[in-house]
Amino acid sequence: MNQMKFKSKMLPILLVAFTIAATGCGNSNSNENSGAAGNGGKTDNTSTNGTESTSTKAWTGTINMYAQAYTPNAKNITGIKSDQHQLRTIADEYEKLHPGIKINFVDEEFKDYTQTVRVKAAAGELFDVFWAQWMDLNGTLPKGIAEDLTEYFNKPNPYIADKATWQEAMNTTVVSETASPDGKHYNINGDYVATAFFYNKELFQQAGIAEAPKTWAELIDACKKLQAAGIVAMSQAPDFGWFQRHFLTDFYSKDFDTISQFDKAPGISSLDEVVAISKGMLDTKDPRFMGWWPIFKQLTDNWKPDYLTGDPGVVGGNARNDFLAGKTAIFYDGSWLPNNAKDAGIKFELGSFNFPTLSAADTPMTTGVDASGAVGGPNAAFQFAVATKEADKSMKEAGKKEAVIDWLQYLGTAQHVEQVVNENGTFVPHWPDTKPNDSMKDLASQSTKELKAIMVGNSSPNLGKDLQRTFGLYLSGNTSLEKATTAVQKALDAAVKEYKTKNDTDLSQY
Amino acid sequence: MKWKANTKTALTGYAFILPTFVFLIWFMYYPVYQALSGAFTDWDGFNAPRFIGFDNFTRLFSDEVLGQSTVHALIWVAFSILLAVIPPFVVSELIFHVRSARKQYLYRTMFVIPIVIPGIVTILLWRFLYQGDGAINQLLELVGLKSWTHLWLGDPNIALYSIIFMGFPWISAFNLLIFYSGLQNISKEVIEAAKLDGATGWKRVFLLDIPLSLPQFRLIIILTLVGSLQNIIPPLVMTNGGPGYSTYVPILHMYNVSTVNGEFGYGMSIALIMFIVILAFTILNMRLVKSDI
Repeated sequence: MNQMKFKSKMLPILLVAFTIAATGCGNSNSNENSGAAGNGGKTDNTSTNGTESTSTKAWTGTINMYAQAYTPNAKNITGIKSDQHQLRTIADEYEKLHPGIKINFVDEEFKDYTQTVRVKAAAGELFDVFWAQWMDLNGTLPKGIAEDLTEYFNKPNPYIADKATWQEAMNTTVVSETASPDGKHYNINGDYVATAFFYNKELFQQAGIAEAPKTWAELIDACKKLQAAGIVAMSQAPDFGWFQRHFLTDFYSKDFDTISQFDKAPGISSLDEVVAISKGMLDTKDPRFMGWWPIFKQLTDNWKPDYLTGDPGVVGGNARNDFLAGKTAIFYDGSWLPNNAKDAGIKFELGSFNFPTLSAADTPMTTGVDASGAVGGPNAAFQFAVATKEADKSMKEAGKKEAVIDWLQYLGTAQHVEQVVNENGTFVPHWPDTKPNDSMKDLASQSTKELKAIMVGNSSPNLGKDLQRTFGLYLSGNTSLEKATTAVQKALDAAVKEYKTKNDTDLSQY
Repeated sequence: MKWKANTKTALTGYAFILPTFVFLIWFMYYPVYQALSGAFTDWDGFNAPRFIGFDNFTRLFSDEVLGQSTVHALIWVAFSILLAVIPPFVVSELIFHVRSARKQYLYRTMFVIPIVIPGIVTILLWRFLYQGDGAINQLLELVGLKSWTHLWLGDPNIALYSIIFMGFPWISAFNLLIFYSGLQNISKEVIEAAKLDGATGWKRVFLLDIPLSLPQFRLIIILTLVGSLQNIIPPLVMTNGGPGYSTYVPILHMYNVSTVNGEFGYGMSIALIMFIVILAFTILNMRLVKSDI
């Protein structure tokens, strides 16, 4: 009876205690040293050149890495070779040198990667090492999600014996021009990508086109010939972010130094962009800014109109499939397309040609600069950042940050960059002491050139998407150039206003 | 003593339901509170939110895209209600008037079976049907109506209607069953009396079936109204709001400014306004349903 009495008294207390304990469990991630990955063991870590990397002594556990196109043995990511092993091999070697540390590669497909990073970081669950391009890290993604690697760039890399600093092993042009406006580096950047027009040689032959177009006029002419032969010349969403770079880089080439120096740092930052907009340079008042739209429309008027107003992210896959299925003759894409074509088992011979250099006959606005490489650049897949402890709660574990950076240093050597990038075959390693695959030699020469691409879209998260919508409406004939110009100016003004408010910037000082 | 015993019993009871309430508050009310308070901040979803008072709301009322989206949402709601009510009611009437009970069962089953197909599959299927070289245009060409062919999702003047009208023949199994059960509930005596008074055929539908099915109409109208304001998947998957902003709706705007642009504070202010609007409709729904059922 007494026992019953005790039970009836204790029951509410036990339930309350259970509830508190249960809800408390949900918050355990916020505890420092919560050991999801680590086990607190000790290892004796000695690097390949004999330097002891003391920083990793205290931490053991699993380092999670999302390596995008270089994900080894990928089964769930479309467009990636499943027989890629180099990164796994390098990770295995690292694991042997550092008992107790495991490298896990995330084999997952992300529809909108920027959004994924944003959401995972907000939840404190970002991958320890994650793929992120410098422009996104410097502008699009929230500040504070990636570790500042600058101090490590300026120190020796224990796995590179003959260089005084890690940075000396990297491509110095790329390092200096991909720095954030305040001179920081948030990723290691090891490869280069190119974009080009890819074409179906059989369809070209059917239309009586013997050679790939070399000039703008030849490109338009080729599209007309294809159409006349009953072949769909092109059909894809015209990616504003990409095509604007070809034209603006050419038209504004003489103004590059002016625009890029507003923030007194190399390259064009979002601050440079905003200042240039507010000064009326990258603005509709400058005839060059919208001057390329009618020129580009000459090309898209020969496209199948289905995807002209589409969001490249929504219809991009369909458009690529149309090309790979032989339904369209030309497709503008990145250097990964040949791999996609191989995977798709295409039955036609694939060719490619660069975005043509414009001449005065095409437009008086051209400066004659070869802007074919303006879309590509050091924006490929060997672009790895380290999550901060705010973006990835597991990084709060004592010694984990140092261990993760040590892994990045091990991976970030010329030999490993070359191994990983060349196995994939779609990109070019751009570090000194690396050699590209033979098929990529032409592209490799571009990687030593200065990055002088000009575009707008980084000053506000919505600007690029907003301009894409107006661009599609104009190209599809659903709005006039006059109305489009008004809409573009409105979007630019809104972006400047937003930038000023968010960054508390007084643009009059520039 | 009795008071003590009652308190103990009551506390025991409360203790049993406490875990449910804790989880309810933790997972349902706390996020809502966060969303409401976040509406007054500038927050990128990652760094600490900065209180900015009513700035998001000032922006909201001058946001042209949101204004355009609201008009689209109203059009969407109006057509959605028509499609949610008329075709299912007509079909339920037809089934109800089939004399054989077995055949009634068969027809009901036939209309309900498609419910097993996931909604996203239907949406993707319609995206293909609407393509320039899709089945709809091919069919129109086949029957000599080439001039009627369109870029159904690429023309800003018709894209919104293309999305609204996908899902032909618009027979929602759920709505059909609600109407059907309403018709079944009409007593035989009333039907017989109406027959004697000459209410047969269409007369019976308009003078007897519709007035006696009003509770079902009200329920479906309010549910459709609330559901269509919250329905983000079709515009997101089919057009992402394009061409231009021609298929943009407030819920998609909220989603894009938050998760794509990283303006979670502004997204939450849109969510707050939508919450108030939807809450108003929900209260209206509860009152209407309560008064008649």
